[in-house]
Amino acid sequence: MDKLTPEAIDRIFKQNRQQSANWIKVGMSTCGIAAGADEVYATLVEEIKKRNIQVTVKKCGCLGMCHAEPLVEVCVDGMPTVIYGRVNKEIAVKILDKHVNSKALLNDYIFDLETK
Amino acid sequence: MFKKTILLKDTSFSPEDKTRDVFTRCLDYLREKQLEQDIQVVRVADSGVYGQGLVMKVLPDATLYVNLKDEDVTRVIDAAAQNKTIEGLALKKAPKQIRIVLRNCGKIDPESLEEYIATGGYVGLKKALLELTPDKVIEEMKKAGLRGRGGAGYPTWMKWKFARQVVADQKFVICNADEGDPGAYMDRSVLEGDPHSVIEGLIIAAYAVGASKGYFYIRAEYPLAVERIQKAIDQANAAGLLGKNILGSAFSLDLEIRLGAGAFVCGEETALIASIEGRRGTPRPRPPYPSVKGLWDKPTVINNVETLSNVSFILLKGSEQFASIGTEKSKGTKVFAVTGKVKNSGLVEVPMGITLREIVYDIGGGTISGKAVKAVQTGGPSGGVIPVDALDTQVDYENLQKLGSIMGSGGMIVMDEEDCMVDIAKFYLGFCVDESCGKCAPCRIGGYQMLEVLKRVANGQAKLEDMTVLRRISQAMQKASLCGLGQTAANPVLSTMKYFESEYKQHIENKKCPAGKCSALSNYAIIQEKCKRCSLCQKNCPVEAIPGSREDGFTIVQEKCIKCGRCLEVCKFKAVSKT
Ligand SMILES: Cc1cc2nc3c(=O)[nH]c(=O)nc-3n(C[C@H](O)[C@H](O)[C@H](O)COP(=O)(O)O)c2cc1C
Ligand code: SF4
Repeated sequence: MDKLTPEAIDRIFKQNRQQSANWIKVGMSTCGIAAGADEVYATLVEEIKKRNIQVTVKKCGCLGMCHAEPLVEVCVDGMPTVIYGRVNKEIAVKILDKHVNSKALLNDYIFDLETK
Repeated sequence: MFKKTILLKDTSFSPEDKTRDVFTRCLDYLREKQLEQDIQVVRVADSGVYGQGLVMKVLPDATLYVNLKDEDVTRVIDAAAQNKTIEGLALKKAPKQIRIVLRNCGKIDPESLEEYIATGGYVGLKKALLELTPDKVIEEMKKAGLRGRGGAGYPTWMKWKFARQVVADQKFVICNADEGDPGAYMDRSVLEGDPHSVIEGLIIAAYAVGASKGYFYIRAEYPLAVERIQKAIDQANAAGLLGKNILGSAFSLDLEIRLGAGAFVCGEETALIASIEGRRGTPRPRPPYPSVKGLWDKPTVINNVETLSNVSFILLKGSEQFASIGTEKSKGTKVFAVTGKVKNSGLVEVPMGITLREIVYDIGGGTISGKAVKAVQTGGPSGGVIPVDALDTQVDYENLQKLGSIMGSGGMIVMDEEDCMVDIAKFYLGFCVDESCGKCAPCRIGGYQMLEVLKRVANGQAKLEDMTVLRRISQAMQKASLCGLGQTAANPVLSTMKYFESEYKQHIENKKCPAGKCSALSNYAIIQEKCKRCSLCQKNCPVEAIPGSREDGFTIVQEKCIKCGRCLEVCKFKAVSKT
């Protein structure tokens, strides 16, 4: 990375705020990994490639809801931002098919939900 | 696109869950009214409220209905369809959690510097370096009222000011990431989830006191935290946020990681300094305090992970916003790792002044078993238990101390009726005895002797006078120990004796453990009338303490029994009793 200038910091701060995106985040702190987040992450990356879906998968830290790990947060157009908990490989695939592709919420795994 | 989404959850503590039944009825009703295209109903795993019966939440308006009766369900759907709220039934719920330290945890990629900056990261540092003098930065901390989150709650600005005032050719800053309290992992989550926020705080601290070198002291048991902090330090170096002339200013700082080998006492600041210097990690008497004479005898500021993450927030958002949260003497928020018998274990960040009841019930969701809460332990081995009657206490440094506990670094363990207070005291004291460095006699000998007495209580071999012995040794340890470990090690014992004296007496006088935890005081026996002679207990007993045959029946030989409870677990006919 090039050296940052004070102006560059301001620029990144401002421009990034308006960014809307299609993304899926997987909690990959010690609590998440211990609960199997590694596998969920790998499944998501692989299945997204197979299905050729336009959505990025990102790793992030611990949201605090450690009892519900692995946590997967999903933000796609036309849907509220949803945090799914206790996700395993099968649920990860369902998230892609049902939530991302068919724009319908999954029953029984939602732990938090935020409308835009 | 659906116009409305209705979230559905049965939050009552009863074992039968009505969610699915109600869900089916909702679907039928939607079909009947031809609303399937407009409204979707979803069963959720967590609705954010607990023990409030059937809960429905209508989105996007976020109207919350709780304790719904069967006939209310269709009314809620009708109201949602007509874009109305049912007054009197809808609940206003203010969010209980405020995220300052955890502001980015779980939200950004911890390995991306850019994502951190996009949330306002390093904007505070830029402001400090280019617009504020070091004294002004210290002034900001004073106005914010930030106090150390590592346990003692010492005002951060004072610590910085002392170090700033000393004239020296070199000064140091250290981030204390040794986190050794059993059950606590707030610092680990921040280091793993938002490493740059801690690094930024440490750079600001270094600028304020005039340090040119800083250390992260992280326990080696946190490999992922070490990896992420190292990556973040490398990124900051490459971006000119560390190293020579940071952001083009005259200020320079180098950061390095030092690994701790997992000794609890190395979290104590003077022991931590000894450990970084390459010596054995034992405390030394204070004063002189590290801010005057610390690492290699130079002025040194040591701050906790959470404290530093608050520092970068204060510089970004201003001291006023920070000081507007919390109580008169305790500002801002505190992160707790809520564990034990609580339903939603995990990290919570709450404003100072919230009650323990709100944390345990409204956020934590009560106990997993649905049984009553008996006590809450805070402050780890240096803290104490707070009985259920005191759950309405507002959480801040002073209040918890008055109750005989401490805020500590943020461990919070919820206990129910099945937890024995003697056993809890024994666990924490045992931890301190194991972790005592042995340098001073009150802690080394006093702790050991107290533990012996507690073991006698748990075994039913103690006398009532032993409680006086416990109190006297506690006093000696509090007064004469060299460091905080020994000074506070008796707290769990003293607070359990204070609030649960009768439970101690039951152990001593009646040789009974009311919670059924102390194995020496419990007996297993086979109830012959219920026994179907299946021989499962005999097969499962690991020490062959159950002789007999399927013809003659079985008995437990008390002398051989190790009270492991296997027989009770495996018996399908409830024919094993525990008394
Ligand atoms: C036995 C013992 C263990 C400690 N462990 C820690 C620890 O793991 N993390 C921590 O930040 N402070 C710990 N402390 C407190 C530190 O000595 C010191 O007060 C703290 O790091 C100062 O930072 P603060 O002012 O930001 O709270 C411990 C103290 C004692 C006596
Ligand atoms: S109080 Fe305990 S841990 Fe602290 S110096 Fe004395 S012996 Fe060591």
